Amino acid sequence: MEKYRRTDFRDQISRNKWKSVILMFVIFVVIIFLGYVISYAFDPIYFFVIMFFSVIISFSYILFSYYNSDKIALASVGAKKITRENHKQYYDVVEGLCIASGLPMPSLYVMPSSQINAFASGRNPEHSVVCVTEGTLEKLDKKELEGVIAHELGHIGSYDIRYMTLVAVMVGMIAIMSELFLRSFRFRSRSDDKKGSIFILIGIILAILAPIVVYFVQMAISRKREYVADASAVKFTRYPPGLIGALKKIKQEDQPDKRINKAIAPLFFTNPFGELASTHPPIEKRIAILEKM
Amino acid sequence: MEFVLWLVLGIVALIIIVFLSYFNRFAILGNRIDNSLSQINVQLKRRADLIPNLIETVKGYVKHEKSAIKAVTDARKALVSAKGIEEKVKADKKLESALKTIFAIAENYPNLKANENFLELQRELATTEDKVAYSRQYYNDSILSYNDLCKTFPGTFFAGIYGKKPKEYLQIAESEKKNVKVEF
Repeated sequence: MEKYRRTDFRDQISRNKWKSVILMFVIFVVIIFLGYVISYAFDPIYFFVIMFFSVIISFSYILFSYYNSDKIALASVGAKKITRENHKQYYDVVEGLCIASGLPMPSLYVMPSSQINAFASGRNPEHSVVCVTEGTLEKLDKKELEGVIAHELGHIGSYDIRYMTLVAVMVGMIAIMSELFLRSFRFRSRSDDKKGSIFILIGIILAILAPIVVYFVQMAISRKREYVADASAVKFTRYPPGLIGALKKIKQEDQPDKRINKAIAPLFFTNPFGELASTHPPIEKRIAILEKM
Repeated sequence: MEFVLWLVLGIVALIIIVFLSYFNRFAILGNRIDNSLSQINVQLKRRADLIPNLIETVKGYVKHEKSAIKAVTDARKALVSAKGIEEKVKADKKLESALKTIFAIAENYPNLKANENFLELQRELATTEDKVAYSRQYYNDSILSYNDLCKTFPGTFFAGIYGKKPKEYLQIAESEKKNVKVEF
């Protein structure tokens, strides 16, 4: 019993909930600020109109991402929903581990990719999804699959899914929007207005900064969470060799999947692009920690 | 004067909140134990429900192994009529070993082994056994959180007030834990 004492998700849950709220607030402010910059860059006459719309847009943007971030993540990888009838082992493994963890049953998806990988998403355990690649179901045996699924359920139980998916979707979209903003200057000619050009400069700086910010946010969010999720996986399965086996198989295959969108990479079980510049801790280190359990 | 009054009111409110939150904590963790207990029963019942089908299928192919089949039906009866969780888990263990014999016998009957119905039942039984093991594990985990709350400060203080006592774990031997898979 002593070994599996780390039962309580409560600290992690409240931390993740707070971070999600702060993130949504920051995004709100950033969108309004973008609106402010844009309104000056175009014409101060439209200031109130543009500000009015940017408040409405940022509100609806945040509400939309909060309720649909899991669907966006699933759609971006082309995942398909599965049923008990066509994926018995996958379904049974999740059902068993839900009993072990006391979590409600998530919706299950499979995405096309020969790589071994998986992710979980959703806004809370009651509205959660688990998605694995076709390669995972083909290459892993039952105990290894249990390890991977238990890791994902660990993310669900700790509300990592809420914060991580929100970061992926919201920050990812901010990057896209600022890119659009940057592009729109190519079609503008009026540049002699001094005030306008200052704000154009700010806009450009913002647009250049956005992808860098995205990069740092993603680096920061993932590493510790992976160790914690590995630990909860062991708590649920009581069987570290399963997860170790899965990690070893992933290490051996080492085939990056370039089709996966960069923004959602941190959601995955292991980094889909391979080991370098990783959003995840190195696999060897994860294995070493698991072997000590 | 007014400030002191508000201060006292604030402290009283805080104390009430702490008392209520500990009361709720005990209630939530207690409910979790009850739920996980009923989950064990659900899984054991599911397992017992699968047995008659299995026996029907096996009977069609295996004519000379009456005692092995009888052992399974008896073990199932014992499981269904068992009262209390300890007794049920014990009966389930017996059923498990009786089933093992049946599956070992099935190895000698290629037609039975090729029967899709049989394979499906075998798979279902193995999955259900996993779930029984997981539900027992979760039951013990729930008791662990409850007992932690009872035994650590300040929970132990509130446990005394609300009359909550640490609960007994469901005993699972380590060797038994590893035996959940039907292997040949």
